[in-house]
Amino acid sequence: MNAWSVEGVVSHVDGFRLGPVDLELAPGRVVAVLGSSGAGKTTLLRTLAGFLPVRAGRIVRDGVDLTDRPPEERGLGYVPQGLGLFPHRTVERNVSYPLEVRGRTDAIARSRELLERFGLAELAHRRPARLSGGELERVALARALAGEPDLVLWDEPWQALDVEARHELGRVLEELRETDRVPVVVVTHDPSLAFSVADSFLVLRAGKVALRGDAATMLAHPSDAFLARFAGFENVYDRASLERGRPGSLAAWLSERAGTDGVAFVRPTPKAVGDPHGAWEGVVRSARPTPEGLAVTVRVDDLSVALRLPPPPTGVVPFVGARVRFDVEEKSVLALGPPASAPRGTLQ
Amino acid sequence: MSRGGAASGRPRWRTGPYWLALQLVLSGSLLLLFLLPIAALFTYAPPQRILAAATNPAVSTALYLTFLASGIAVLAAVVFAIPLGYLLARRAFRGRSVVESVVALPVVVPHLLVGVGLFFLILPGSPLYRFTTAVGLPIYDTIWGVVLVMVFVSAPYTVLAADLSFRAVDGRVLEAARSLGAGPATAFLTVTFPLALRGIVAGLLLTWARAVSEIGGILILAYAVYPGGPYSGPVTSTLSVYVYNLFQTGDLADAAAVSSLFLLIAFVLFFLVRLGERTGWVPWRRGELLP
Repeated sequence: MNAWSVEGVVSHVDGFRLGPVDLELAPGRVVAVLGSSGAGKTTLLRTLAGFLPVRAGRIVRDGVDLTDRPPEERGLGYVPQGLGLFPHRTVERNVSYPLEVRGRTDAIARSRELLERFGLAELAHRRPARLSGGELERVALARALAGEPDLVLWDEPWQALDVEARHELGRVLEELRETDRVPVVVVTHDPSLAFSVADSFLVLRAGKVALRGDAATMLAHPSDAFLARFAGFENVYDRASLERGRPGSLAAWLSERAGTDGVAFVRPTPKAVGDPHGAWEGVVRSARPTPEGLAVTVRVDDLSVALRLPPPPTGVVPFVGARVRFDVEEKSVLALGPPASAPRGTLQ
Repeated sequence: MSRGGAASGRPRWRTGPYWLALQLVLSGSLLLLFLLPIAALFTYAPPQRILAAATNPAVSTALYLTFLASGIAVLAAVVFAIPLGYLLARRAFRGRSVVESVVALPVVVPHLLVGVGLFFLILPGSPLYRFTTAVGLPIYDTIWGVVLVMVFVSAPYTVLAADLSFRAVDGRVLEAARSLGAGPATAFLTVTFPLALRGIVAGLLLTWARAVSEIGGILILAYAVYPGGPYSGPVTSTLSVYVYNLFQTGDLADAAAVSSLFLLIAFVLFFLVRLGERTGWVPWRRGELLP
């Protein structure tokens, strides 16, 4: 079945305290663990893997308590930060390792199958030192899957991959979900990865669970600036900077709508540069073309606001210093900070 | 302007002529210091003299004893020094720095003192003397005395090398191995040890080099070596003591010839090891001694 439940797990490392963390992991579901540096993401993964002792709570797989089992008895596919590939073994023997240590005689044959599936067959006899970043990631994932794990733990996938390699790995991950039916816990800084593969999110802040839930919960309740930026809000302001605004300014208007941690709103998208409509006016500071249109930064009094403009007719780019009018929709403005009654999504 | 940078394989750093000259002068001076005494030896010992030394049974017996004893010392380092290095690298315990200092002690103590210390430790009539004699490992003037001194002065190099090499193994690689189903022993044999092996072998080479060149302690504990234990030849001494004797008795030409012979053997051995490492046919270079 491979249903895992993490119940109130607490662990300590070098004076840092993680938890309590509750998590349900169902077969084929991907949970993304988010949080800024030092929030405890890797600590959580290493605790689940059995490298850090659980001080309170328990880890259960299909009714079996694994809390005090050593890592090798947990049935894991763990991809640590930096991948942890064996530099002294060939690709083929990296992937066959989980089977070799179990005494399986078909280790090499199984390894070949996996290399075939991950498009690594022709690299079988190379050492990791001679592979590209994307190839290394695929080898690490193939190795993690070779032992037919009951849970895949993946720390910071595709940290330094090019677009092509990311796409390839995303496809592999999708397949992993559907074919292997293994629960996956992914630690990441990368919003595009998180939103493309994760079924649910666990957000850590200073070792505590700040939020858990699906993408909708994540987007609806970005409770702080970190999450708001993660969820794709480019315009995020803290309370203090808004309260300095003079009456009638954009800052003052936002300040009335801010929560304890400030406010966030999606990029306003005025129709064109010369469009006379809009409550607010800013001066263009920078403009650069992107696939979704022009990303423009304007200055409104003391605030820097990101806008998105439709792709300009050839050659017409709003030059620095031009004035642009725009509106901020009331309903797009989010108050940041702990809400009166904490909405807690359930994690599947 | 990186003239020639693309032509050669590795990047060339642009350096001024004075900087280059300084480098050459400093490195050259040190190499000269290494080479000149050796050159002096060879001028004193013409080839036919070295050949004569090589065929002299007394010399080959001394050589045999030296290699046998140093070989046992290296084995002892494998058995005792590698585990100590591992302990230092992997365990945090109270008094670790004390242990580390104790390990460094034999390197700094004058080796004559080592001999004197061991002499007092195993004075005839002392409990240790009675014990070693009872178990058939007499120390004075036997190969065991030579081995004891050699291990004392040379094993620290293996301890230090093993400590550093085990430390250098990436903990995340080890965690990957454990999480993939390897127990602590399997992970050690398949990951930690193969990855640390190259550094450990370098330490063992140093240990061996230090062991064969030892004289101070041996002069006191086993000046002459009588047959017993693994050594069954005629009464002899280690090569270092042998040369010392020749020198003391004024036989300078023979002292130079025997020394040159030993230098040649040592040079060829080290050269072969380096060559093996470069070409990759020695297993520890590939990190593949174990599966």
